[in-house]
Amino acid sequence: MRDIDRALLLLVAPPALVLTALPARSVEYLSTQQAQHALFAEANRFEPVSIALTDLQRETVVKASGTRTKLPVDRIWRALRDDQLLGHLIVDEVYGKHEFITYAAAIDANGAVIGIEIMDYRETHGGQVREASWREQFRGKHSGDALELDEDIVNISGATMSCKHVTEGVRRLLALHDVVLKGR
Amino acid sequence: MRTRESRASIWALLFLLALGAASARADENYFGYSYGTETLPKGSWEFYNWVTWRTSKGEGSYNALDLRQEIEYGITDRFQASLYLNERYHAIDGVGAPADRDQFGFQGVQVSTKYAFLSPYKDLFGFALYAEPGYSRISKGSGRLQDQWSMEVKAMFQKNFLDDQLIAVLNISPEFEVGKKKGERHWENELAFEVTSGLTYRVAPKWYVGFETRYDSTYEGFPAETDRSAWAFYVGPAVHYDAERWWVTMTALPQVGGAPNNGTRSAALNLDEYEKFELRIKTGFDF
Repeated sequence: MRDIDRALLLLVAPPALVLTALPARSVEYLSTQQAQHALFAEANRFEPVSIALTDLQRETVVKASGTRTKLPVDRIWRALRDDQLLGHLIVDEVYGKHEFITYAAAIDANGAVIGIEIMDYRETHGGQVREASWREQFRGKHSGDALELDEDIVNISGATMSCKHVTEGVRRLLALHDVVLKGR
Repeated sequence: MRTRESRASIWALLFLLALGAASARADENYFGYSYGTETLPKGSWEFYNWVTWRTSKGEGSYNALDLRQEIEYGITDRFQASLYLNERYHAIDGVGAPADRDQFGFQGVQVSTKYAFLSPYKDLFGFALYAEPGYSRISKGSGRLQDQWSMEVKAMFQKNFLDDQLIAVLNISPEFEVGKKKGERHWENELAFEVTSGLTYRVAPKWYVGFETRYDSTYEGFPAETDRSAWAFYVGPAVHYDAERWWVTMTALPQVGGAPNNGTRSAALNLDEYEKFELRIKTGFDF
């Protein structure tokens, strides 16, 4: 075997061997329907809500939340028990390192977080944001609360980017709720 | 003739790697030469495969491949360690100096540690320090056998913008080397001082596109001699793509300036110590 062939063989062989040993990663944990029932167990129906933001409303939300990510105006539902409004469920996406992290937030009629669920997580690291103890920190948060890592939300070491972006996402949804959804 | 075949093989392989990269996955290595400040989470493993192609001395035919396999482990969430195994291939024909050669061999080994002091996600900027002692038995430029011991230190900075979608990094890397060529008795000292930087933007899910710069210099005889003996500056594009199970990063760096100049090779580039063009492809596999 020529030297160049030995070099090229060594170049290709290690990744090929490693690739065969890798597990698949992409996981959808909850569908929208499953998230609705997990966060609003008492609800017996969900009505989609369609909203159109004025420029001023959009600017207010962006300013209050400090993020630029697209607002989820077409993935909002009213959670109802018969005709009683229990709150809103919003499905949102925030940046992961390479993919989007999809999560759902339940916000009650008074604008307080009931809970959040991670629906789809495709990153290699940082999946600890799915842990119930971390998500529980959001319960009761309102628009206007800091929602900052290491301030009122504890960070998870090794999952900092995911923690930061989900926290910012919830802050953004609370601002959206406060500006557009409260009372609807 | 043989080096022409070698170069064709290298081109073909790089093309195949680029195609293969169309199904690749990404972590923090957005650049081929510059490092970000993040470390692997505690208990995580990552395997990297590196290939760097260096070509053209402005005379004859010069091609070199630097191959590297790296295994990296997160000891804590802020502290990681790596082991590198390196091989080197030279196909040199008609360059004059270095002499003709068609040779592949085990080049050496390094270990490294990296500690992240500041996070680019929580702090004003990210900051990490890195140390890499190593041994090399094949000269980078000529392919001659040697005994060389080195210690490289890196100060790494990272600043993220626009919801962490725009990433800027800066690495400052002094490396002290002591070595002797095979058959020689005299050990020589050298300082290699490198500064790299990069800027990249997430243009679409899975895709980052940007550019990278690299300044490399040598100080022969350091610390007794402190005058810079050679330098080169490179600028080129960097692309990072992430797929389901692995990732790939490619940086292409043409030399845009350097000195001293060998007039028969280039009036503006240093083609004695450095090459006209470098291409690095890194693939990573997370466990």
